[in-house]
Amino acid sequence: MQLNTEFMRQTLIDVLAGVPVTLKLTFVTLLLSAPPAFWIALGKTEGGKNRGKISGVYVSVVRGTPVVVQILFLYSLLPTMLNYLIKNVFRLDFNIFNIDAVWYAYIIFILNTTAVLSEVFRSALLAVDGGQLEAALSIGLSRRQAYMRIIIPQALMSALPNICNTTVSLLKNSSLAFMMTVKDITAIAKVKAAYGYNYIEAYLVILLMYVILCSVVQGIFRLLENAVSVRRRAAV
Amino acid sequence: MRPFHPAYIIYVLPKLLSALWVTFAMVAGTLFFGGLLGFLLAAGKVRRGRIAKTISNIYIYTVRCVPSIVMLFIVYYGLPELLLTFGIDINRVGKGFFVIVTFSILFAANIAEVFRAAYEAVDRGQREAALSIGLSEWQAFRRIILPQCVVVAIPNFTNALINLMKEGALAYTIGLIDIMGKGQLLIGKNQGSYGLEIYLALAGIYWVITILVEKFSAGVEIALSKGRKAPNAKIRERRRKKCS
Repeated sequence: MQLNTEFMRQTLIDVLAGVPVTLKLTFVTLLLSAPPAFWIALGKTEGGKNRGKISGVYVSVVRGTPVVVQILFLYSLLPTMLNYLIKNVFRLDFNIFNIDAVWYAYIIFILNTTAVLSEVFRSALLAVDGGQLEAALSIGLSRRQAYMRIIIPQALMSALPNICNTTVSLLKNSSLAFMMTVKDITAIAKVKAAYGYNYIEAYLVILLMYVILCSVVQGIFRLLENAVSVRRRAAV
Repeated sequence: MRPFHPAYIIYVLPKLLSALWVTFAMVAGTLFFGGLLGFLLAAGKVRRGRIAKTISNIYIYTVRCVPSIVMLFIVYYGLPELLLTFGIDINRVGKGFFVIVTFSILFAANIAEVFRAAYEAVDRGQREAALSIGLSEWQAFRRIILPQCVVVAIPNFTNALINLMKEGALAYTIGLIDIMGKGQLLIGKNQGSYGLEIYLALAGIYWVITILVEKFSAGVEIALSKGRKAPNAKIRERRRKKCS
């Protein structure tokens, strides 16, 4: 078995252009999914009946179906549906087929990550003792204040490892964006590979890239965890 | 907008379900080989041997960082070449083989962590007590530790299993005809139409299987944890709901 090292070196450099795309896809998705995820989690823990039921079905569907199916389904549904809405409902002169596919990737990954994160937040909220909220309310904090100052800081601490897991799996899943013609790491390397049938080399380069990216993400989360737990220890 | 035919979903379901056994066979094969490898990795991690520990750690860390689709293609393109250097020709082997190898590699890393966490959740004193009354190391493991591990491991094991099934949908990219591949074939046959209906049917099938697996494992967990002092959070939640 012989590897074309010259090709690997060249691809490694070319693939760097895809790193910002992958990172943007991951972190923008994460930031935009957090608020709705928190809202769903709150609905479940506080127990509004209809809200809990509807979000329950949503979470169950998203977590019960493969990401590929979600991507293929939404990617074949969204463009035509948006086109129909724009042309016939809003009557705008705008060609939806010209927009960058990365927007669809954002929509799909946000829908997916919201469901996953909502479960992470829910378990984190449940991990905080119920007496904390009651105590906060009893000393005259408003509900909002109680959550902002008492509950969320504690919940965040127990949620961090799970948020790290979610981020890593999101980073890995973002490699599927090549199905929507987004030029991320995987897509660039795949195109390179197709020129000279250097598939093994290209995929080894992708593997290396993802291992590095995941290590960086995990390192950042470890620092965060240390910072948070130091504060906690200081408080005690 | 193209018309949507809900009736086509019903029409296409039996055709998709005819390939369901491939999906199940893939999951079963991976569960066996991946589980075996995962068990070895977990054993390497909890034992005191430093070399085994390092190897397990590196393996688990690396594999968990790799997207399944990347691993799938590395195995699909790389494994035949690699084995060819040893004089073994597997170019004629079916695609299912590569799929099972890939997902075993991936699944082993996940399941090893599940096994390890479950093993560590059992109190060390249990093993010591078992040894002190004269059981051998293996007897202590099989009769005392393992039964307690199983209960702890069930929720995480179920998660890993469901993830495996969902990731398995990627196997169609190398041409395996499981339900996903069957769906792609049907779309190709229709020259690209009825995509929405077929994907919806696929999502429905996966969703139903996931729910069944979750329900089944929750039932097993409750049955096995009868009489335990500290059931895990999920069961506690359920019991609380029953009371209120």
